[in-house]
Amino acid sequence: MGLFTRRKTVVVDSDILVIGGGMAGCGATYESRYWGRDLKIVCVEKAHIDRSGAVAQGLYAINTYMGMQWGENQPEDHVRYARNDLMGLVREDLGYDIARHVDSTVHKFEEWGLPIMIDPETGQYQREGKWQIMIHGESYKPIVAEAARKAATKVYNRIMVTHLLMDKTKANRVAGAVGFNVRTGDFYVFRAKAVIVAAGGASHIYKPRAVGEGMGRTWYAPWSSASAYALPILAGAKMMQMENRIVLTRFKDGYGPVGAYFLHLKTYTENAYGDEYESKWYNHTKELVGDYIDKLPVPTCLRNHAILEEIKAGRGPIRMVTKEAFQDPHKETVGWENFLGMTIGQAVVWASQNIDPKHTNPELTTSEPYVMGSHATCSGAWASGPEDCAPSEYQWGYNRMMTIDGLFGAGDTIGGAAHKFSSGSFAEGRIAAKAAVNYVSDMGKDQPMVSETECEDLKKTIFQPMENYAVGRNEIVAGTVSPSYILPIQGLQRLEQIMDEYVGGISANYITNEPLLTRGLELLDMLNEDLNCLGAEDLHQLQRAWELRHRTIASECVTQHTMFRTETRWPGYYYRADHPKLDDTDWHCFTLSQYDKDSRKWDMEKVPVHHIID
Amino acid sequence: MFTSNPFADLTVFLPPLAMQIYIVLMIFAVIIGTLFDMLHKSSAKFFAWQLKKSKAAATRKLSGADTASIAIKTIAIEVATSGEFCNQKRRISHMLMFYGFLFYLITTIVMIFGYPTQAIPTPVFLPILWNIGVLMILIGGYWFFFFLRVNVAHDGQPLFRLVLADLFIVSLLSSVTFAFIWEIVQAVGNLMATKVTFGIYIFCTTLLFGSVRWSKLAHMFYKPVVAFQRRLEEATGSSSLPTPSTHNKRN
Amino acid sequence: MPTFVYMSQCDGCGECVDICPSDIMHIDPTHRRAYNIEPNFCWECYSCVKACPQNAIDVRGYADFAPLGHSVRVLREEAKNTISWKIKFRDGREKNFESPIRTTPWGSIKSPSDYEVPNQNAFKTQELAHEPESLNIKELPKLTPNKPKQGIV
Repeated sequence: MGLFTRRKTVVVDSDILVIGGGMAGCGATYESRYWGRDLKIVCVEKAHIDRSGAVAQGLYAINTYMGMQWGENQPEDHVRYARNDLMGLVREDLGYDIARHVDSTVHKFEEWGLPIMIDPETGQYQREGKWQIMIHGESYKPIVAEAARKAATKVYNRIMVTHLLMDKTKANRVAGAVGFNVRTGDFYVFRAKAVIVAAGGASHIYKPRAVGEGMGRTWYAPWSSASAYALPILAGAKMMQMENRIVLTRFKDGYGPVGAYFLHLKTYTENAYGDEYESKWYNHTKELVGDYIDKLPVPTCLRNHAILEEIKAGRGPIRMVTKEAFQDPHKETVGWENFLGMTIGQAVVWASQNIDPKHTNPELTTSEPYVMGSHATCSGAWASGPEDCAPSEYQWGYNRMMTIDGLFGAGDTIGGAAHKFSSGSFAEGRIAAKAAVNYVSDMGKDQPMVSETECEDLKKTIFQPMENYAVGRNEIVAGTVSPSYILPIQGLQRLEQIMDEYVGGISANYITNEPLLTRGLELLDMLNEDLNCLGAEDLHQLQRAWELRHRTIASECVTQHTMFRTETRWPGYYYRADHPKLDDTDWHCFTLSQYDKDSRKWDMEKVPVHHIID
Repeated sequence: MFTSNPFADLTVFLPPLAMQIYIVLMIFAVIIGTLFDMLHKSSAKFFAWQLKKSKAAATRKLSGADTASIAIKTIAIEVATSGEFCNQKRRISHMLMFYGFLFYLITTIVMIFGYPTQAIPTPVFLPILWNIGVLMILIGGYWFFFFLRVNVAHDGQPLFRLVLADLFIVSLLSSVTFAFIWEIVQAVGNLMATKVTFGIYIFCTTLLFGSVRWSKLAHMFYKPVVAFQRRLEEATGSSSLPTPSTHNKRN
Repeated sequence: MPTFVYMSQCDGCGECVDICPSDIMHIDPTHRRAYNIEPNFCWECYSCVKACPQNAIDVRGYADFAPLGHSVRVLREEAKNTISWKIKFRDGREKNFESPIRTTPWGSIKSPSDYEVPNQNAFKTQELAHEPESLNIKELPKLTPNKPKQGIV
């Protein structure tokens, strides 16, 4: 801010506000327009919609496609698959709902121009595995963004949303959101009748393996700053299964994808001595989780578990046997293009270390934990399900509406719907959008109103870190060490260390227990206080500051949930050393939390898991 | 006003030799500034090293004729039409400033050395060309400054927060703006005002040519060299970039 | 693998600043050209590399684990709807790849508003836009569970 300029406030009114322009956000924007021809649909994105979100570099496969048109799979098959993979605990209604809509979503992608590989023998989409089809998806995101841009009244790029706004006339109803322009520093107030949160899940809440430049090579995008969780948490929405963090086994250092390798190239893993190891751990795993080890395919977490045990026994590193498969030139091309269309960094790592899978079997590693809702994991907000199949306990209003009226979610934001991936997230955005359009039309004249005072207060709060820095900077000569403010990177490193050491990160071998979790909460509490002393030198740092804020509250939620569930449901993702076994008697249920931001209290509860598919 | 040689009219208070010496000093300042910049930053060593790397990575040999044609292309495209700019507006604004500066500079030198006093009448096209040059610089330059600077237009920086990269454009614009103001003031006839505006003009011009070491002026020489090297790399196959796809334009 | 910008090739157009999903490509105040301000937040998504009209941006593998001497460069040709890659190993081996990126012209997606307005009944059903036609099956699958199995609370 100059000496003579005041910070500008921009007010944007809309019927439906979509927060986040990733796969889910683009789906929500597109579908909102289809059903709401005359509505004002606004999409707000902190980066640029053409390459924002987890699909920035592209994808090489669409991991959720039924193939109903060819009788390949039915939605209930997918529900069983996701349920097995998540050790029994998924929202079957939400999963069924996404699975039945995902095919039409994928067909639209093809119509729009996404190159889907075709199996030359069958003429059908080239399957990578039972659920996955292969694509040339380098431009997946720009194509999908084009559809959203055609639908939206306006897309706002480079605006970071920091808080939701609640209705001042009616309790527990959303009225919009606030944020700031990352380029100009303008304060933005979005007033909306319905809000669809389609922001990113949580990367960078645990200390990553590489801590220098390599910190950037997280498995999940580093710009997924847990806004999907922080926004609803702070508004008081109920969250589910936030303890269900995911750990991924991927190629060393680059965290490159292994799906195409396992499924299409038919590669397999072995320990450092060239031996098969997974079967060795069968009995041991069975003692921990019972019959769940007998599910096929073996649940993701249990495959991780075998790797972790093998490494602990001193027989690492685990390698992917590629030498055989890569002799086939077609498979070799797929093996490399798999990275180029999705995780280019892995190609860079191999090129830098002279690793050619034709001659070397590359190393695998297990990642640091991530919390998100669209992969082999389903943390997120607790949402109402589809009217035709959700059990009554899972339905209180519009589909994908959270426990706050008018607040919808899609993608990483919504919990319980595991294995939705990119196509499922887009489909869920569409589901939420249709519901939101109905909600808006049913609302009639009774529209939410934002509080001017709340907006003024939030304006001050949002820009406080810049004030802290400008004033506090006078205290020291130069450098990064100040007794009065912390830089966003400093806060992030502290958060990542707390989570790593106390809530089951890599340095703890993913193990935690109640004493550790208790201490973790104490440290998180102090960090939360210190966040009031964040110092942001410029608008970029201000964005980092708010990303940290979102990550921290999400981490507190994760820790509370991890404390609450006194069992080890997903060995291979994390372990409660004080409750090392799976306990279906007491814990075949969802964990729910609700946060009160004034008292800083977390209300935890159990909710039954209803199985609607046999 | 715009058809008389403003430098000849200076002789009322300034001997013509002064301006001639000044021109020579400014030329020296640019040469020394560029040389110093190159030495201090080891730019010459860097270019030589790049050339060596390209030669080593080359997969094709180029004939003398090929090399010459590349040189000509570079001059025709990068130098003559500011081809290095992919953004059309910047390209046009740069060309306005570049050619404007050429007109302005050359006519200045011709007028100061060829027609130093009012004794020999200056052909009218010279001051007209001088003014055209001045106008082109001002139009291209102010357009660039207010609307096209990438740190303002794309990176959100406030318009008047000046950074080191602005040294060149600010000194150029202030120099040429005061050239214009001085010319008008001098034509109107107030001696004191003329001396003051002329003084500011000279000050800004000295800043422009004296700050070569820190401004971007030296890039006037680096950029064509680099463009030439790049085309060479493409032609000799030493570029690390993939070859363009041979697919016909789809759609 | 963080990105870096070649000084002599960047003309300061700002495309990379506009596209970077991480907000880390910014303009250097001395040269008015782009550079990566925060390599430890670079995902090496190559968005900036692909967006640069001058091919002035390249990637050097993360210092934590990538030895020098490698090169992974890309040419994204939107007019041809192709993308080409050239990978150079540290030991000099080279691999080249080319893939399609899109099968339709850019800008050709039909806006949802250009479809017929859905009739009132359609709003309260489970069918999303273009369903059931775009499912390529007769109708949208539905469930009517009678007695959902209860989990233990």
